[in-house]
Amino acid sequence: MTALRAACTALCLLAAGAVHAATTPRVPAAFSARFVETRSLPGFDTPLISHGVLSVDATRGFRWEITAPYHYLFEMNGAQAREQLPDGSVRQLDPEQAPWLAAVEQIFLGALSGNTVQLQRYFEVHMQPLAQGRQITLTPRPGPLSQAIVRIQVVESAPGRPEQIDIRETSGGRLQLRFTPTGASPTAP
Amino acid sequence: MNTRLASVARCTIWLASLGALCAFAWLRLDVQQPINTDILAALPAQQESGALRVANERSRDAFINELLILVSGTDAPVTREAALAAYTALLNSGLHAENSGRTLQQLLAVYQAHHFALLDAKQTARLNRGGAQALATDVAVSLASPAGLTSSFDADPGGYLTGFLSRLPRPYPAFLPDGPLLTALRAGRRNYLLRVQVGASGFSQAGAALAVRAVHAARDAVRQTCRTCEFQATGAPLFAEAARREAQRESLWLSVSSTVLIMLLIAWVFRSLAPHLLAALQLAASVLAASAAVIVWFGSIQILTLVFGTTLLGIAIDYAFLYFAEYWFGEGAPAAVWRRVRPGLLMGLLTGVVAFAFLLLAGFPALTQIAVFSVTGLLEAGLVVALIFPLTLTRAPRVAAHATVRWPQQFIQAGCRPSRWRYALPALVLLLCIPGWLRLQTSDDVRELQHLPAGLLHTDAEIRNTLGELPPPGFFLSAGSDLEQALAREQALFATLGARAPSATPLGLSRFLPSDAQQQASLAAWSRVFGAPLALQTAFRNLGLPVALAARLEAQWQRAARRPLAAAQLFTAAPDLQRLVIPTSSGVALLATVTSHGQLNPATLEQAAASTPGIEFVQPLARVTETFHRIRVRATWLVVIGYLVIFALLLWRYGRREALRMLFPPLLALGITLGALGWLREPLNIFVVVALILILGLGRDYSVFLREGGTRQRSPALAVTLSAITMLFSFGLLAVSRIPALHAFGLATLIGILASYLSAPLSLPPARRESA
Repeated sequence: MTALRAACTALCLLAAGAVHAATTPRVPAAFSARFVETRSLPGFDTPLISHGVLSVDATRGFRWEITAPYHYLFEMNGAQAREQLPDGSVRQLDPEQAPWLAAVEQIFLGALSGNTVQLQRYFEVHMQPLAQGRQITLTPRPGPLSQAIVRIQVVESAPGRPEQIDIRETSGGRLQLRFTPTGASPTAP
Repeated sequence: MNTRLASVARCTIWLASLGALCAFAWLRLDVQQPINTDILAALPAQQESGALRVANERSRDAFINELLILVSGTDAPVTREAALAAYTALLNSGLHAENSGRTLQQLLAVYQAHHFALLDAKQTARLNRGGAQALATDVAVSLASPAGLTSSFDADPGGYLTGFLSRLPRPYPAFLPDGPLLTALRAGRRNYLLRVQVGASGFSQAGAALAVRAVHAARDAVRQTCRTCEFQATGAPLFAEAARREAQRESLWLSVSSTVLIMLLIAWVFRSLAPHLLAALQLAASVLAASAAVIVWFGSIQILTLVFGTTLLGIAIDYAFLYFAEYWFGEGAPAAVWRRVRPGLLMGLLTGVVAFAFLLLAGFPALTQIAVFSVTGLLEAGLVVALIFPLTLTRAPRVAAHATVRWPQQFIQAGCRPSRWRYALPALVLLLCIPGWLRLQTSDDVRELQHLPAGLLHTDAEIRNTLGELPPPGFFLSAGSDLEQALAREQALFATLGARAPSATPLGLSRFLPSDAQQQASLAAWSRVFGAPLALQTAFRNLGLPVALAARLEAQWQRAARRPLAAAQLFTAAPDLQRLVIPTSSGVALLATVTSHGQLNPATLEQAAASTPGIEFVQPLARVTETFHRIRVRATWLVVIGYLVIFALLLWRYGRREALRMLFPPLLALGITLGALGWLREPLNIFVVVALILILGLGRDYSVFLREGGTRQRSPALAVTLSAITMLFSFGLLAVSRIPALHAFGLATLIGILASYLSAPLSLPPARRESA
């Protein structure tokens, strides 16, 4: 059983990242924005660009929708999560089987609520004031998350109002998200 | 000269016989395990397969060596710091923790290299059904999903490896890793879980003491770092240490009290040191001979045999007291003592040997060993009395018969006076016992024999509640002709469990290593998808994904090994997983288990195992309980049969009427003991059965001694009285023990010996008839 548990722990690290599932950050004020996601892959000249809409509020929870080049929808409210695939099919996500749900919840809700205390447990947090707003740099502490992510940079116009998220992967890949509050036209970063 | 020669011959015979037995035992001794502490070894050998034995050992070792420590507080960063300080203190104290970081890296590399072989049946079916379109959709989802924020798309473009890893079992799902710790938020408090192992056996004195020291060090470290943090620890080593300390405390004062009382009694009665020395010699020689005989027969001695056998040898003190009483206060000369006590002693010895010899037929190693131990011990005790006592007690003692020596005879004589109370009183007592018999309940649950400290139990319950996972009630063994078949059977079992016990989380090798057939199916599905590159490009294009991405995936497929992940590769990455594999004579067996948020019904797990070929569900605790139950029941029946034979012996020597009369007091004492236990709501367990055998043996000896000596001799009554009082001091005192097993044994012995002694005069005919 020791062997089993040791392996379980190790794989738990892999599967879950370093973010705690039961952590419930403060629910941020309602936030809604369009975004452009730009993903650069190593050895790939052309970045992959997609567009979408993000909204968070206390009653409907977290909603992440890709509108182009295909349609994809992810919704999470409390422990319930579901996604609608590009082929139109819908599947429920079991938090037990998808520990990344907690990670996503932690990063997004933590960032959107302006609560960096929760993040400090897992990241080295460096905040730099900007002319308007601030830039938060999250460097994963040694551990599983640091195996996949080099750093995450969040640029906020005000605490809890992200404008841009920039994720550098250890593989050399890069993921950039640029948010535009609903009503404005987003542009690729 | 002849007397001296006879003395030398007696000493030589005794020493040579004991020496030869011990020498033979030394040659046969299993030096690796002279004392076998595995209670399951008490099961008949044919029921314990090699795989089951190994599985039991591994399962037990994992349980008894682990410590769980919970550090909690409201200030998360400070609590984390305190938990890390505790972790360091535990390691510095000599405990071990898993190197999960290294295992993680190695496993990740292995799974990454074989990720094309790791699709599950559902994903395989999806790719087979949807082909390139399904892959393109999955890649699109992987790109679009917010999951992409926490993983590297390049390393796992379709999210399949992440899916595989996500489905892997986790010991405490609510807790997720944070460095060397596991952490969860519960009721507004941040909890950090530390899991460490004791290097030595957690049940060994060294291992348990090490665990306690380490926990103290960790607690101090937490207090120094965070004064408001709570520290809790649980684990078998802590229970073992607490139980050991309590047992030591109790046994110290109980044994000191009983030894002092017995020594005072003997000194008061005989006014000599000789009885102390000779009784000690007899006891030591009989235990030595008994242990040697068991080792000659079995190679090692069971802990149960040592405990119960030594207890039963307490009967042998009767022979010594009979001799002492006749020597010091009998009517004959010292040289005639042996001749005068011989009939009673030999008859007592013969009936005692017959009673225990029947246990040889039990078919249980435990009972067979106890029989060998007791028979040899009784014979040796008799031999010491016959050969050594006459050599040392040669001069006439100068102690006059004082009041203490006279009243036992007066009591026996009073009890033999003709009176209707001789019949009415026992009848009345038996009537009172009837409701007790009806209330009597049996218990073979080993947990009810232990006394676990309430504080530790409370902490354990709190920690388990916080963890949200209860320990499994047992484990599964999946047998197969090879690893592949065993894995397939385990997978089938887990599928059945998913349907019958949805709350159960299976933990087994097949969840880390899909069967070869599944891996081949996974590779075949990928092969079909990449076998149609044009269709793949079209599917990507249709979804708005770059066609180059399809080509990139195809290139990855071409570069990949495209071979199933072999068990050997997995074990190289995570060597501990190999402990789940048990080689057998017919192939291999896999060890697996389940955890759950709530109590799992063992019957459900048993049914799931029964419905899958090659699967066995094993409950170690239930097996121990069953072992005790079978030993108890079989021992009871064999003792009954033994007493029928003893009755035949008494019949042969004393005739039917007297034989019945002589067996009546021990049987009456048995009935009274059982009735009293029923009234007191004390369950009938294996310890009580051993006490009942002891009571019967003593009662039988009392009858024989009194019958052979009659009421006119002082020594039989004195011997019986001294035996009863020393037994009450030795075993009856255990009734005050807080350890349920000892309490049950002591209470039964206390009641039984009192009843045996008080009813002993009934073994003799009424005085009028005797004189007639």
